[in-house]
Amino acid sequence: MTRAYVPLLHRVAAINALLLTAAVALTVVVLAPRKISVLALDGEVLVVLAAVALVVLVNVYLLRRVIRPLQALIVFARGVDYSTLDHRIEGAEPTSEAGELALTFNEMLARLQDERRESTGRVLRAQEAERLRIAQELHDQVGQELTAVLLGLSRVASRAPSCLEEDVLAIQDAVRDGLEDVRRIAIQLRPEALDDLGLTSALAVLADRFSEQLGLEVSEHIPADLPPLPPEVELVVYRVAQEALTNVARHSASSRADLMLSCDADRLRLTVRDHGLGLPPESLPGTGMRGMRERATLIGASLAIGSPTSGRGCEVRLEVPLAATGPARNRERRHSAR
Amino acid sequence: MICAAPPPPTIERTALRDDPLTRTRLLVVDDHPAVRAGLRELLADEADFVVVAAVDTAEAGLEVAKREPIDVAVVDYQLAGRNGLWLSRKLKRLPLPPAVLIYSAYTDGVLAAAAVVAEADALVSKGSLGSDLCREIRYTAVGEGHLPALPPRLAESLRRRLDHDEQALFGLLLAGLPPAEVAATLGLTSAAMEARLRDLLGRLEGLPAAPRG
Repeated sequence: MTRAYVPLLHRVAAINALLLTAAVALTVVVLAPRKISVLALDGEVLVVLAAVALVVLVNVYLLRRVIRPLQALIVFARGVDYSTLDHRIEGAEPTSEAGELALTFNEMLARLQDERRESTGRVLRAQEAERLRIAQELHDQVGQELTAVLLGLSRVASRAPSCLEEDVLAIQDAVRDGLEDVRRIAIQLRPEALDDLGLTSALAVLADRFSEQLGLEVSEHIPADLPPLPPEVELVVYRVAQEALTNVARHSASSRADLMLSCDADRLRLTVRDHGLGLPPESLPGTGMRGMRERATLIGASLAIGSPTSGRGCEVRLEVPLAATGPARNRERRHSAR
Repeated sequence: MICAAPPPPTIERTALRDDPLTRTRLLVVDDHPAVRAGLRELLADEADFVVVAAVDTAEAGLEVAKREPIDVAVVDYQLAGRNGLWLSRKLKRLPLPPAVLIYSAYTDGVLAAAAVVAEADALVSKGSLGSDLCREIRYTAVGEGHLPALPPRLAESLRRRLDHDEQALFGLLLAGLPPAEVAATLGLTSAAMEARLRDLLGRLEGLPAAPRG
């Protein structure tokens, strides 16, 4: 990158050299005014010039040492990964202004990260609450009204003259399709199985649904038993699996996917792998991927998306440190709405 | 399109309507006014049905059933306040218990399992045609209602959530044994059986097993 300014080092060094030269010249004029008229350079003048040059060089060297941490800070600041905000300046000590600046910068990053985590959490919680509300509304209002229409149509069907029979049947089918859609959308919005049955079964149900509705053959490797997990961890793992499988179904051109969940003492790992096209070389993360990342950040988990070590396709891997999620709360199950 | 006028009600129908002994007495419990009205009208149209009452809460339904003999209760699962399965359990403890048909938007496995424990006789989707609902009511009235089978994987994951005693209870109920026989098999008093059933139902419905009526 080209600079539009003269670097600090050059400016300070130039000013210092100028001042030094002026001071030496002034000194010479004051101490030995007659010598100025002598144009020939004698030994004394050479010594003075050499001394000035030496002092300027030492000055540049010292200045460079002072300014180097600032330059390092600039390089670091340019390289910060704003998607994770995970990096910190190593070895920052409050022993100089540059050190203080580095410390302040680290604090700023940490605060930014905290605030982002908090606001992401707020947004995601609001989103989940809104999804629940819409799912309930769909079920309690639209679904019930369609049921009432269906009941009314049944009465019409039993009384309608035979020439209308076919029409009434067609309308009945349309209403039933509508009801089925309402039900499907409500389930997508709010994974009831998660509330009812917990993570492992909800993932199994999810895998089944992808197989049935989208023809994506999902082979699952899910352990029978998991340690009790906080509800928000279950929800994040479920949503990441849902999003990753949706991506496979939409973009990978693969007809099968693996859904793996494993757990040891200190971490839970979710892997969704397909055998399709893989990521395009210069793909930009879409909203789905950003959403997965935001959710992962929220529970202190890491998310990696890339090609698997062997074979082709794409792999999404979520790692949740179990200690970081806090002590598993007493499983107060959310009331499921039907 | 020119249509013939609908045929008038047949004599046969009228005769049936006038004979109260042959008609199935129904109780409708649904908290959505349009669904409740739709059910009432649909069922009242059937010559062999009489709708004794159509109410909006489980408590009101129970009151009606205490006062009047009911053959089949058609009950929505989700009601404001107590749900349809609570009502099912209560109805089954009346001196002359009616058959209970749960009429619900979702008829997935979990509800089917909970319905077994709540001793409901049948489970019908709110997406069913009226004629199918009427047919299922007729089956239920003669003790031939049916609950959807539980998919094996779901049954397995439900079982995993239960403790050892509950698993035995759940297994016997799923196998279709009446609660009295289950109690005898497990050597439980009726009070203990009651408490077990209530806890099991709470567990299956995903509610905390707090004391409930």
